[in-house]
Amino acid sequence: MSSVVLRKDIHEKIDQIAKADILVGIPSFNNARTIGHVVKAVQAGFVKYFPRKKCVLVNSDGGSTDGTMETVQNTALEDTQSILLSHRKEKALTIATPYHGIPGKGSAFRTIFEIAEMLDVKACAVVDSDLRSITPEWIELLIKPILENRLDYVAPLYHRHKYDGTITNSIIYPITRALYGKRVRQPIGGDFGFSGDLARFYLTKDVWETDVARYGIDIWMTTTAIANDFRVCQSFLGAKIHDPKDPGADLSAMLFQVVGATFDLMETYADMWSRVQGSESVPVFGFEYAVGVEPVSVNVERMIDKFRLGVHELADIWKEVLPDDILEFLRNVGSLPKEQFRIPDEIWVAIIFSFAAAAHNKTINKEHLLKSLTPLYIGRTASFVLETWGSDAQEVEDKIERLCAAFENRKSFLREVWNFVK
Amino acid sequence: MNIFQKLITQPVEEFIYKVIQFLPSLFSSIFLLIIGMVVAWIMKTVLARLFRFLKLDEVSERSGISKVIARGGIREPFSTLLARFVGWVIVLAFVIIALNALNVLAIERLFEKFFLYLPNVFVALLIVIFGAILGNFFGRAALIASVNAGLKISGLIGKGVKLAIFLFSISIALEQLGIGKDTVIISFSIIFGGIVFALSLAFGLGGKDIAKDYLEKRIRGEEQKDEISHL
Repeated sequence: MSSVVLRKDIHEKIDQIAKADILVGIPSFNNARTIGHVVKAVQAGFVKYFPRKKCVLVNSDGGSTDGTMETVQNTALEDTQSILLSHRKEKALTIATPYHGIPGKGSAFRTIFEIAEMLDVKACAVVDSDLRSITPEWIELLIKPILENRLDYVAPLYHRHKYDGTITNSIIYPITRALYGKRVRQPIGGDFGFSGDLARFYLTKDVWETDVARYGIDIWMTTTAIANDFRVCQSFLGAKIHDPKDPGADLSAMLFQVVGATFDLMETYADMWSRVQGSESVPVFGFEYAVGVEPVSVNVERMIDKFRLGVHELADIWKEVLPDDILEFLRNVGSLPKEQFRIPDEIWVAIIFSFAAAAHNKTINKEHLLKSLTPLYIGRTASFVLETWGSDAQEVEDKIERLCAAFENRKSFLREVWNFVK
Repeated sequence: MNIFQKLITQPVEEFIYKVIQFLPSLFSSIFLLIIGMVVAWIMKTVLARLFRFLKLDEVSERSGISKVIARGGIREPFSTLLARFVGWVIVLAFVIIALNALNVLAIERLFEKFFLYLPNVFVALLIVIFGAILGNFFGRAALIASVNAGLKISGLIGKGVKLAIFLFSISIALEQLGIGKDTVIISFSIIFGGIVFALSLAFGLGGKDIAKDYLEKRIRGEEQKDEISHL
């Protein structure tokens, strides 16, 4: 498999560094406004928690035109006195390089993995470039379990608003847990720690010309680590606050990318997940504390309207995918008033498993299939909001736990429909 | 030679001679026709099984061909129809060969023209099938996109896109068959109209948020928006 092409000066810099202990990668694309804070937090993490280690910060950039790479190069910790108790022995090194290949986060990560391999690092981490809530402790929490506990993969654990990360909560977390048997709460969190061995393993996989290179890298990294028996854990990082995303970002495109990547991995690891029954928790690091999260405004009426429109217009498409009783239920629930509008866990599980099977059996075009899931997802989210309106964080977490149990209990249904063409 | 011989015997003898000369061609034609029918029947049976084995019916279901056929009142599976079509093509080919074997000049000329025209029929048929598939695909894509955008006229948009593509393929097919020489102009009008329509849609969709905000503020006052971060 061909490796990435790096500029000559980057190669020289890597040769100069020769070997390192820790590498933290930051993928970026036009993040000049926010990346400075992330770089400072990473550098502070290096000096505060790994003063005797050789640390490298790598910025893998997708061709920013707003001076992102220059910001990375010019950002340095000015006042270390306030955060440090001991003097740092090694100087943190910074590499800012454009990545090559298919534009996307996956290609940016590939460059980071390649540099990690060249420097023979022991532990790596990747953090998003638009984080506002990152602190030096994140670096400690993502790296230390690898260096000190000989673990291979550290997934993040955040406190989020109960209506934040609804695709994760209603689809990705429950299905990943039910499929592969490990309770990784934020499988697409975006901020991960991993061993040098795992970085090398990632590079052996021939996925860099696929959708993994574009957008499916987060779920791919988590699933690959779990499915290949690498030792996985979670670290509590606190609240995740990032730069506000484009409010007009297309939800159906988001679903297509994230759910599509998850379904693709089901193909790769079909033998593995079909044997797994139940799930087990993974070690958790970090001190869990309550965090205040910003309130989220939700318009349930509009969500239910979109669901009803979907039922009215897309039932013919869903007929090719969903069992008759589920379709009948959706038709009925669409006609109920808001107060009675509910999509129960069992129905939602059957919907997701049926869509997974339809993607596998190529019942209809994959993009059409996954984008037609949008009104159902919106309906389920509306139902979730109505059910948890007065619930606190723990009660919501308990509800998600019940959904996960439903996914695990109905796995036999997935096995049944997986090879069944409707 | 007497008059009787000249008027009766000689023409009859000539006729009998011609009939005798024509008989081998006739027998070989009938023989070819029988062979053709047998070959067509065998091919039809074999192909029907092969198409079923290759799951052609599922493909036609997914691509929407079956729906188009069903709308025409035909309820048989696509694999059977295709096998039967191939069978009839074989029969037709043998009929042509058989008629050719008769060595009749008028028939030869007629079939020469027919043979030259036949590829156009196949191409036209392919264009229509391709148009139906494309129409279904883009119609469904437009339907899903408009439902996800929350447009109440989603069904109309989906059907409109599907119909436009299908009609366009029909017009190209007719052009291929040489029916309606003005079709190119009509097609151009459809394409041009389609582009204008697409641009209007793009402009409309691009500016829908502004228009929506404006209307919401004007008619309903400020409406609460979702701030859910889905990922």
